[in-house]
Amino acid sequence: MAKAIEKHMRILVLAEMEDRKLASNALELLGAGRGLADQIAGSLCVAVLGHEIGDVSHEVAYFADEIYSLDHTLFANFDPQLYSSALIQLHEHINFKMMLMSQTLENLSLAPVTAFKIGAQVITDCIRVAFEAETGHLLCTKPVYGAKFLSTFKLEKEPYLVTLRPKAFEPIKPSSKLGEIIHFDPVVDKKLSKVEVIENVKQEIISLNKANAIVSGGRGVKNSEGLHQLKELVEALRRHFLKVELGASRPLVDARLVPPSRQIGLTGEKVAPELYIAVGISGSLQHITGILGAKTIIAINSDPKAHIFQVADYGVIGNFEEVVRALAKRLEDLS
Amino acid sequence: MKRIHIIVCVKQVPDPEGPAESFKIDPDSKEIVPVGLPPVINPFDENALEAALCVKGTYPASRITVISMGQKLSQPVLRKALAAGADDLILLADQKFKHLDSPSTAYVLSNAIKKNVPYDLILTGRQAGDWDFGITGLLIAEMLQLPSINLAQKVEIKNDAIFVERLTRYGYELIKAPVPVVVTVGGEAGELRYISVRSLQAVSGKPVKVYNAEDLQLDPQKLTTRKIIELSAFHAQRECKFIEGESFQERGENLALTLRRDKII
Repeated sequence: MAKAIEKHMRILVLAEMEDRKLASNALELLGAGRGLADQIAGSLCVAVLGHEIGDVSHEVAYFADEIYSLDHTLFANFDPQLYSSALIQLHEHINFKMMLMSQTLENLSLAPVTAFKIGAQVITDCIRVAFEAETGHLLCTKPVYGAKFLSTFKLEKEPYLVTLRPKAFEPIKPSSKLGEIIHFDPVVDKKLSKVEVIENVKQEIISLNKANAIVSGGRGVKNSEGLHQLKELVEALRRHFLKVELGASRPLVDARLVPPSRQIGLTGEKVAPELYIAVGISGSLQHITGILGAKTIIAINSDPKAHIFQVADYGVIGNFEEVVRALAKRLEDLS
Repeated sequence: MKRIHIIVCVKQVPDPEGPAESFKIDPDSKEIVPVGLPPVINPFDENALEAALCVKGTYPASRITVISMGQKLSQPVLRKALAAGADDLILLADQKFKHLDSPSTAYVLSNAIKKNVPYDLILTGRQAGDWDFGITGLLIAEMLQLPSINLAQKVEIKNDAIFVERLTRYGYELIKAPVPVVVTVGGEAGELRYISVRSLQAVSGKPVKVYNAEDLQLDPQKLTTRKIIELSAFHAQRECKFIEGESFQERGENLALTLRRDKII
């Protein structure tokens, strides 16, 4: 079982799966986790939780020292109570100093519940995390006040549980040394799940975080005709980029013109495409915080004073319908 | 279940939609100080209140109690909840509630909730527009040993059970939960209904219950504060190259040509 690593010196990363593969954000978590483990000369451990996860455990072995495989039929679907119960048992077994999770919709539920049950101090949505050299306390930096400010919190009592913002940390590089895969079988009691999922409604399967180019609409787009124009721009961009998606800032989602899965920003997805085109988006910090990783940002807006221009590489001031129509047409012609 | 007892926990925050310039950092106290910006009810908590009002719309005999905790609470701001249709407003106000961390906030709120029996449904926003943690609602559930559902876009009651649509990456899950249950609500649940000046005036004299830490018999040891060691403005500035053109159409075309020239496409 677990190697003789000094107590309290394990950094545990919860690796998520996506279509039976390691999710891309897991490599970012491992990158952050390795940095923290090196700081305290500790070990980097990873927990893979799910059903039929064999291949993922092997895949992740290139990145971590210990791989805990928690495989159970009841883990096939996410349930915060069942998942947290498994993580508590793992904590009792290996006594990690700190746990890292990705700031995903699921973990917005899992992190507080798990933190409460293991008595961990918890901070969500961090973009920097490090141990303070003199004290060994944990310093976590996260955007606050709708991403108007960055705040660094100091946590002084172990264990710590921190969720990391996607696209904010460098992915880990594989090492030549393979970690040890350890099968850990928690006791799983279905009764812990006090709620019952009646139906899982999949409206649209999209992954904005994998798109090479994104066209996003905001309040200025107003209606479905405006949205239709953005979709034509998406089509035109497909001549130039492999994967192009439509995104939105909150007003279009709240107006139910665009499903929540396409929302980009503080409470939506964080994206890092090669090209991001913001159409009719004023540029609230809540939205901008979701697009920081974009390589090139283009803003199209009729208001020359719109904040979005301050964070864009290219700007077009003008009526978006005319600009987008001409842009889409020209993009079709250029091959 | 004809009469549902609903509790909505709301937080008073500086208006998150306010301009960035109206928020200043006080370097000594490591606080963010809103300048000339009135407080509001946290927008996600307003979504939660709207979800409560929708349930009451179906079961008119239901009772909605709104609870807010803070050290400087504004009655006119929070009375908006009464004007919207809540039945009672309870304020938990004490100097000791300044800068509390999320577990302590949940501790205070869950103690107040315990004193407000019976309750079937406890609603709150998915996160607050100031610190954006998104933790307190679920901690309340853990402390009260109740089931919880995060990120609801719709809340309904049928045959003594709660049905919640929970946001997922690909759509939503329809979840059935027993009562009592804690549900956190997101923007998808809809904005708080319009409130007229007349309905605000109508509730201006309505009594509001105010409790302090002593009234709630809180353990002072359990009131811990957050520790902030640094605050800085968030910068994301880039150099914007504006695309020229006589007409909007020409600007659109020139944008495409510029992108080709700069090898972006």
